[in-house]
Amino acid sequence: MPANRFNAFTAYGVGIGLRIPHYDHILGKKPAVDWFEIISENYMVDGGRPLAVLDQILEQYRVVQHGVSMYFGNAARPNREHLKKLKALTKRTQTPWLSDHLCWGSVDGRFTHDLLPMPYTWEAVEWTARNIREVQDFTGIPVAVENVSSYVEFHASEMTEWEFLNEVVERADCGILLDVNNIYVSSKNHTFDPYVYLDAVPAHRVAQIHIAGHTKFKKYLLDTHDHPVLDPVWKMYAHAIARTGRTATLLEWDDHIPSFGEVHAEALKANNFLPHAKALAA
Amino acid sequence: MQKLSRRKSSSRSGAASGLAELQRAITGALMKPLTADEEIQPSNAAVAERFIKPNDRLTALERLQIYSQQYWWRLLGAFGEDFSGLRAVLGEKKFDRLATAYLEEHGSVSWTLRNLGSQLTAFLEKNPKLTEPSTALALDVARVEWARVLAFDEPARKVVAPEKFARTPADRLRLGLQPYIVLLELSHPVDELMRRLKHTEFSAVSNAVAASENHKRARVTVRRSRQPVFLAVHRLENSVYFKRHDREAHTLLLALRDGATLGAACETAFADTTEAPEQCATKIREWFSRWAEFGWFCEPARR
Repeated sequence: MPANRFNAFTAYGVGIGLRIPHYDHILGKKPAVDWFEIISENYMVDGGRPLAVLDQILEQYRVVQHGVSMYFGNAARPNREHLKKLKALTKRTQTPWLSDHLCWGSVDGRFTHDLLPMPYTWEAVEWTARNIREVQDFTGIPVAVENVSSYVEFHASEMTEWEFLNEVVERADCGILLDVNNIYVSSKNHTFDPYVYLDAVPAHRVAQIHIAGHTKFKKYLLDTHDHPVLDPVWKMYAHAIARTGRTATLLEWDDHIPSFGEVHAEALKANNFLPHAKALAA
Repeated sequence: MQKLSRRKSSSRSGAASGLAELQRAITGALMKPLTADEEIQPSNAAVAERFIKPNDRLTALERLQIYSQQYWWRLLGAFGEDFSGLRAVLGEKKFDRLATAYLEEHGSVSWTLRNLGSQLTAFLEKNPKLTEPSTALALDVARVEWARVLAFDEPARKVVAPEKFARTPADRLRLGLQPYIVLLELSHPVDELMRRLKHTEFSAVSNAVAASENHKRARVTVRRSRQPVFLAVHRLENSVYFKRHDREAHTLLLALRDGATLGAACETAFADTTEAPEQCATKIREWFSRWAEFGWFCEPARR
């Protein structure tokens, strides 16, 4: 099975994030790319260059929306204006699924612009699942939630991260955007076995996979998205794909962004692990 | 998947289980400005220890510090990108002090960092000491740089066809201005300053190693203008431009934006003129021809 209901039964291959330094190359050279992931918030504007470029991209490519500030885990309902803008953008892009993070990030209207980890509590499960359902109902598009990398653990937690993820997606009946790099980073920061996490994820809900690079500091790893994917992460990706089957895969590269060719070549390494990739490309 | 048995939220000694309480406390701590050494304030230790577990490498406070640093570096970075002219006018140290003070009072209240500078002009007016002795120039630069943000991605409305100008009498013709146009009256030639800054930055990036140090130190300034500078910050083919105007043209555009008819706007604009009516008419024709070419006119907003 190449896909599932959480990515609208599409069969997307390997994509890359659409980033400003690559605009000219993409629009000028029109390279063959399976699909682009856009950061929704960058295009939730009313005019100007962002939308003009997006429209040109949409003429040539399939686009999937990925959000960074819906904050499903906030102890508050989703912002209505945000939802309206998001929905308007989905009509423009025809995204088959929507993703955002399993995290919180704003309080009383003040935004951190970060992906803050959840306390893994039953109260948080209920809040988060309800918020995901609200977004899914409002937009009418399948939602996939992404596990974040984290640097803190809370005293209040009542379960592991993967147990929390499972409880939330079951209650929300949503998909998972499985970020294998984030699992790796968190496993080093919190000393757990990343393969226990991977094996606990319900494979039938995995709508998409993220891969990325990270940075090693003396006492912790930081999810910087400014390197090629490291070997342990490729190994985890192979393990994940063995469980989920062929799944839409996206390389994130957000800082010190090299040429389009370099980013795309790094992403295409995923084809070495995807079943039937060569057969489908032929 | 094995279902977990649901338990009531447990609360260790000193640990709060309320999601809202945890989020409010953590946010309050990480949004406090960093110390001079770019570390989290030690006064956050109590909050950190109450909510966050230490591990074998980091204390609770050190773990929270990772988020606090990311918060400040992200916001200061975005603010610095939007107000690079202000940075060049004030210099690094003064700009950093100003940015921290501003962001402490006006953190982001939007899902996008694009709106981060929306309160800056009012903040600078309220806190002139932060920009002394360049307060007037700093204010002008901040106005222009915020206008540049708006011009970049505010909506464009349907352009009114020039034929409409011709067939509607001036005393009945009302025109709107595109929402992405910002009209400014300045006391400094900030457009010139921005051009100079762009040139400095270009020189820096095109000249490898030595340039990066120059770039850090890049300071620019301009003298106060003898006459007010009337500037439109606008967008053309998705790029942002500055367009200088005469006082009369500026007044005319403001009047149109305020809902005046073309006839009334022209009268207001030339109320104090000593020029002959024919000269005024020629000017108006030339301006309108250019503005129509830019696509500046749209249907007026409903009131």
